[in-house]
Amino acid sequence: MRLEGVWLRYQRRGPWVLRETDVAIGPGEVAVVLGRNGVGKSTLLQLAAGVLRPTRGRVVDRPAAVGWVPERFPADQPFTVGAYLAAMARVAGLPGPEADRAVRRWVDRLGLMRFHGVRLPELSKGTAQKVGLAQALLRPPGLLVLDEPWEGLDAAARDLVPEVVDEVLAEGGTVLVSDHRGETVRLPGARHWSVADGTVTEAAPSGAAATVVVELSVPAAGVAAAVARLRADGHHVLRVRDHAVPPPATRPVSDSRLAVPAGPVSGAGQPGERGRPDPGPGEAPLSGAAGGSGSAPEVAR
Amino acid sequence: MIALVRLRLAGFLRTGRALAPVLAGLLALGVLYGGGRAQPAEAYGVSAVVLFPVLAWQTKILLDVEPDVQRRLARVVLGPARERAAGLLAAAVAGLGTVAVALVFPWLVGGVTGPTGPGDRPLAEGLALGLWAHLLALPAAVALGALACRAITRSAGYGVAVLTLGGVGALVLGLSGSVAPWLAPPVLPTARALAGPLAAPTGLLLTAWALAWAAVVLAGYAWGRRSRA
Repeated sequence: MRLEGVWLRYQRRGPWVLRETDVAIGPGEVAVVLGRNGVGKSTLLQLAAGVLRPTRGRVVDRPAAVGWVPERFPADQPFTVGAYLAAMARVAGLPGPEADRAVRRWVDRLGLMRFHGVRLPELSKGTAQKVGLAQALLRPPGLLVLDEPWEGLDAAARDLVPEVVDEVLAEGGTVLVSDHRGETVRLPGARHWSVADGTVTEAAPSGAAATVVVELSVPAAGVAAAVARLRADGHHVLRVRDHAVPPPATRPVSDSRLAVPAGPVSGAGQPGERGRPDPGPGEAPLSGAAGGSGSAPEVAR
Repeated sequence: MIALVRLRLAGFLRTGRALAPVLAGLLALGVLYGGGRAQPAEAYGVSAVVLFPVLAWQTKILLDVEPDVQRRLARVVLGPARERAAGLLAAAVAGLGTVAVALVFPWLVGGVTGPTGPGDRPLAEGLALGLWAHLLALPAAVALGALACRAITRSAGYGVAVLTLGGVGALVLGLSGSVAPWLAPPVLPTARALAGPLAAPTGLLLTAWALAWAAVVLAGYAWGRRSRA
């Protein structure tokens, strides 16, 4: 899919939000759109998804099936979660039984079972966001456009986003993601498009400079020392959070994208599992609390 | 596209916002038929005039019930042309419901009567002409309502202004002796034509006029929606 010489402004005499934008992305590729608030990230994504029509220029070779997850799901609708998703599946052209299967699959996967009969306006922001994610995936998308998909999601659902992205890519789809919270370190193979002053520039291919996130669990009492040690080694500690129950590993270790460059966590665990604490023996040096009741600083370099 | 028509009709009916235009329509029909009995064709001609702004308002409400982002989601899934068409189709279906109520209502309140004299039209002909008059008003009303919807006007104030201008314009420009009758849909000329004998060429002309007016306004709606998702 390509944006060729795309300009966009919202009103006839309004300011240009995007100017002379030329970007292209192929099947199996993911691009992260970065930029400050209000700089035009959502505008770029909406142009790609087909929500907005370029004022000048054109978008070519857009896949037929597009899934768009808006920044805020429109929950002010008089339907239950189940009825809404079933209706959206049919709008997307899925025949009855297939639509029901798709709804069941994504309701289960996103943990929406107990909200199936709940009306959309009664959902919390995060749950509504999950419905927004589900509606975009009911029909396998050739292009998946995610506008701040991590916003409001709980930890389990946040981990699901990279999984879903991987699945779309594996089926030859294209994925565009915007993010201003640094969550896209979860997508280590992604291209980076930077939006600023109405122009979109692509960062040089990351290659060796790519960073990944490794989650570690350390005894609660030793957090400060562990963080200090990691920082001294040149790692970037993203956050420290409580870690009550270690969640199951959600992706195969054999995934080539999971390979962490040797070194980032030297002495702090076995580099081999990205995104989740590894409950295996490799974690032993820092997992002092049996049952995983310690804290897990996420690190990246 | 039919699934989206269903979704939009369901949203319109479930939010309860369908109630306001239905009540307004019933009120207008109640006033219309409160004065005594009339021949069906003549009464239905006036009923179509009265319902024209109600049908336009109903269309605007139906199109505005859906949140903007949900409308954009539908646009992404179906494409802009089918998303627009689904909205118009849903409005037309809802309008047909209102038209059905308008056709039955006078019989319930004794507002119309069958043929009483030798010069009166047969009942079936009166009903058919009444249906025709309402079906002429419907596309024009849907087009006007679409032009007044939030996706185009972006603000409640402009929306009401478009609706009022269209509704009042249809009445003012439709008066006999109007300087520019072609600028308005032929709801009043149709009512006038139904008050007496209706020649076939007049009927065809009114039909073509109503459809052409609706087509021009709908083209304006489609053009406006190109850059307004």
